[in-house]
Amino acid sequence: MLFRQLLISLLLWVPLCAQAFDLDDLQRQLAATPSLAGRFEQQRELADLDSSLKSQGTFIFERGKRVVWQLETPVEERIELTPQAITDGSGEAAPPGGEQVAELFLQLLEGNWQALESRFTLQLSGDRDAWQVALIPKEAALRERIAKITLRGDRTIDHLDMHTPNGDRLKVHLFDQHPLNGS
Amino acid sequence: MKIVRLMNKTGYRRLGWLWLAILMLCALWLVWMLRQGLPADTDLTALLPADRQAPLVEKADRELGRGFENRFLLLLDDDERVSTTQTLGHSLQTLVDDGQLAAIDWRELDLADADPHGWMGQWRYRLLTPQWQQIIDNDDGNQLVDPALRRLFSPTARPDPVADPFGLLDAWLSRLPQSPIGAADGLLTLNADGRQWSVLIGELEGSPYDLSMQNALHAALEHFQQQHPDAELLRSGLVFHAAAGARQAKHEISTIGAASLLGVLLIIGFVFRSPRVLLQLMIPLLAGSLFALTLTLGIFGRLHLLTLAFGASLVGIAIDYVLHLQCDRAIAGHKFRLRRLLPSLTLGLISSVIAYVAQALTPMPGLRQMAAFAAFGLIGAWLTVVLWLPRFTLHASPFTARLATGWWRLCQPRWRLSPWLALAGAVVLIVVCALRLTSDDSLALLNPSPAALMQDEARVQQLLDRDTGSRYFLVQAEDTQALLARLDQLDAALDQAIAEGLNVDYQSLASSVPTAAEQQANLARVRKLYGAPLDELIQRAGLPAEVAEKGRAQLEKSPMLTLANWLETPLGSLQQRLWLGKTANGGVAATVVISGARDAGTTNALGVLANSLPQVEYVDRVSRIGALLGELRRHTAVWVALAMALMTLGLVWRYRRRAWRVIVPPFGATLIVLTTFAVSGVPLNIFNQLGLLLVLGIGLDAGIFNVEHARRPSAWLAITLSTLTSLLAFGMLAFSATPALHYLGLTCLIGLASVWALVPWVRPADDAYPSTILQISPHGRLSMAGVEHDWG
Repeated sequence: MLFRQLLISLLLWVPLCAQAFDLDDLQRQLAATPSLAGRFEQQRELADLDSSLKSQGTFIFERGKRVVWQLETPVEERIELTPQAITDGSGEAAPPGGEQVAELFLQLLEGNWQALESRFTLQLSGDRDAWQVALIPKEAALRERIAKITLRGDRTIDHLDMHTPNGDRLKVHLFDQHPLNGS
Repeated sequence: MKIVRLMNKTGYRRLGWLWLAILMLCALWLVWMLRQGLPADTDLTALLPADRQAPLVEKADRELGRGFENRFLLLLDDDERVSTTQTLGHSLQTLVDDGQLAAIDWRELDLADADPHGWMGQWRYRLLTPQWQQIIDNDDGNQLVDPALRRLFSPTARPDPVADPFGLLDAWLSRLPQSPIGAADGLLTLNADGRQWSVLIGELEGSPYDLSMQNALHAALEHFQQQHPDAELLRSGLVFHAAAGARQAKHEISTIGAASLLGVLLIIGFVFRSPRVLLQLMIPLLAGSLFALTLTLGIFGRLHLLTLAFGASLVGIAIDYVLHLQCDRAIAGHKFRLRRLLPSLTLGLISSVIAYVAQALTPMPGLRQMAAFAAFGLIGAWLTVVLWLPRFTLHASPFTARLATGWWRLCQPRWRLSPWLALAGAVVLIVVCALRLTSDDSLALLNPSPAALMQDEARVQQLLDRDTGSRYFLVQAEDTQALLARLDQLDAALDQAIAEGLNVDYQSLASSVPTAAEQQANLARVRKLYGAPLDELIQRAGLPAEVAEKGRAQLEKSPMLTLANWLETPLGSLQQRLWLGKTANGGVAATVVISGARDAGTTNALGVLANSLPQVEYVDRVSRIGALLGELRRHTAVWVALAMALMTLGLVWRYRRRAWRVIVPPFGATLIVLTTFAVSGVPLNIFNQLGLLLVLGIGLDAGIFNVEHARRPSAWLAITLSTLTSLLAFGMLAFSATPALHYLGLTCLIGLASVWALVPWVRPADDAYPSTILQISPHGRLSMAGVEHDWG
């Protein structure tokens, strides 16, 4: 019975998806702005503390190349993420294993669904002016570190929301975004 | 000669049955001893005297070699890296499903449990890098506040303001040796030399020598390479070397082995025209081997594989006894008398056995075993030849006699060698040898792996920047804490040497587990850091002050990291190989493994470093084994030379002025072999020296029979047959690709051919003890009816 229900709901879903705004459309839409700059606000809520870690600054995003994260408060720090590594202001590579985190962060900001699909189940909802993608890790090993990621936006990504299994939550709000010239 | 006197017809028969009974008992004893398999040693050092063996070094070698034995590693590079890796990974996964392999790791996920934060967290307050120790000692750690703040606010960090606001654990972990294997495209990946290699790590279910597993793995990889000819695949692991060795052995048995066997069959068949003779050839050799194996095992308790291999080859000398007897029987017909041959047979046996007894007196258990095996084997074969062979009917063909006479006429030299010329020749050869002969005791002799595989292996080690575990410091102390302290000392000395330009790297347990005292000091430092600097950090991060209080409370429940704790963690288990545990003298021991430069200067510096510290020893496995091989080789050489001198004395006593005629074939052949090696630049090693023992034995028998039975065509036919069959059996090994067998074979090839070529030139003009005298002697009771044979 369960299987039949599943099949029916799938059959209902498929044509809907085909006509509606899909991940490929979204990727094309995001790719229209290859480089952009803007401001961010980051808030990390820690489950075992009542308060949260808040920071803000500016960012530059060059598709396929790098993200530069310029912290302004509470500390000044420039963090550059490339597919290979994370480097901080002193030019030193961040702790080992950082490449994987950097890679994931870049893939999220790019909306690189093909790459993300190998590790997450993706679910798109909304339309091209107000969309939302939910990402659930496929493998148990990754689920130990990430419970769920939600991306929201319109022509660009505006919100990133990541939950970890221990109840921590990272919220990043990107705003004042404008395309960069000559890139 | 006592035997001869005892031998009337019934006495002779009784002795035969007695010998058969002994052989039966041997067989029973052997079966009983082998009920739990052959207790065989493969370790070369087992050939050394007990006081010279180093059990701890053996244990270290075993521990460090384990990864290489139980695991294998494949590196794959291809344009379509992801899909080809998946193909190979899935195909190897089927071997795991079939139970041939224990596991195969190639997906990124296989790295997932490598996150150490979970299990290392409890110890973090007692683990500080030297750099952090210094910073905290300088200003209580105020400098650490800014970096910690940045960490807390990085989008990619996983901050933990309560348990570890400063990131103590990350700092400490980043100092541990990092695996160069990372993740990319969902695969285990190695970035090296500007290329991306996929990494596949296999774990074996059982022994790397398991043939069915080897075949399955080989077939899977061959199939993969046929499907993807452009993919570059590098292999590393003992299983590939073992498989290559097994394939090579199989190939050589079916080519070299089959050719030798066919050659021997054809020759014996041609000469004797009877298939039964072949069987009769084998019986004494088998009986001799049975006798030797039983007694050697009985005496020594264990057997070294090298002993077995070479001992069994040396028993091959016994083919002489069989051939001389059979040739004489075939030609003499019913006039055959064992008595006539007995002195030469006995002398042949005694001279060979003396050579081995000399070796059995050496202090080297390995040589003693080998000598005992060969001596017992020869005695066993000899007794079988003398007591049993004449009792079997021989269907001799008249062709054999015609052949012997014809062959005899054909090989009459035009002139004969004079003793002075022989001496002059020997002097010249000795001078050439003394000037040009070199030796080689390198480990490569024992390594039958094809060059391509060795290149793969070296390439993988280099790409992964892995040590081979073949060079290490062996460190001992009375207990674990003292050991950690000593390791610390050694590490400090190594750090200093590296800073001064020594191009090596090392892995030590001390860099992972600080001593109890240091852990205590580290905790005290962290308490300082958790004073004002922590308050400042929490305040600037905008967190409530109680977070700092919670953080301080963590320090109160910080356990000590013991070595046992560490080795149980996933990271520590990678260092398990460095830990040797309790030693025989009640202390503990560990190794510090060295990788990097291998030049003489480095080796020297490491040796000096070891000598400067108590209970620290530098071990280089490759040169150690080389030294062992060299020692074995020199010992064999010295004792064989002594045996030769002793034999010469014995022969002079019996043959007087004719002694040189007996000596020339064995000694001349030996000199010719050595000179050939000297001139062609083949270095002397333990294996061609063992080949020389064989040449000496067969040469000596040939010399004795040549002099004793100078006018008998049957003796010359027997000499020809014995050198020819031995040449086929051992000389053909010269074409083997296994270095050890190649050298043994090459020596036999040159040596046996020389023996055969020398014999006619030193043949005396008459018999030393003309057989006619014996035939007309009145000891009628000595002629044995049982030895008569028909011409049926």
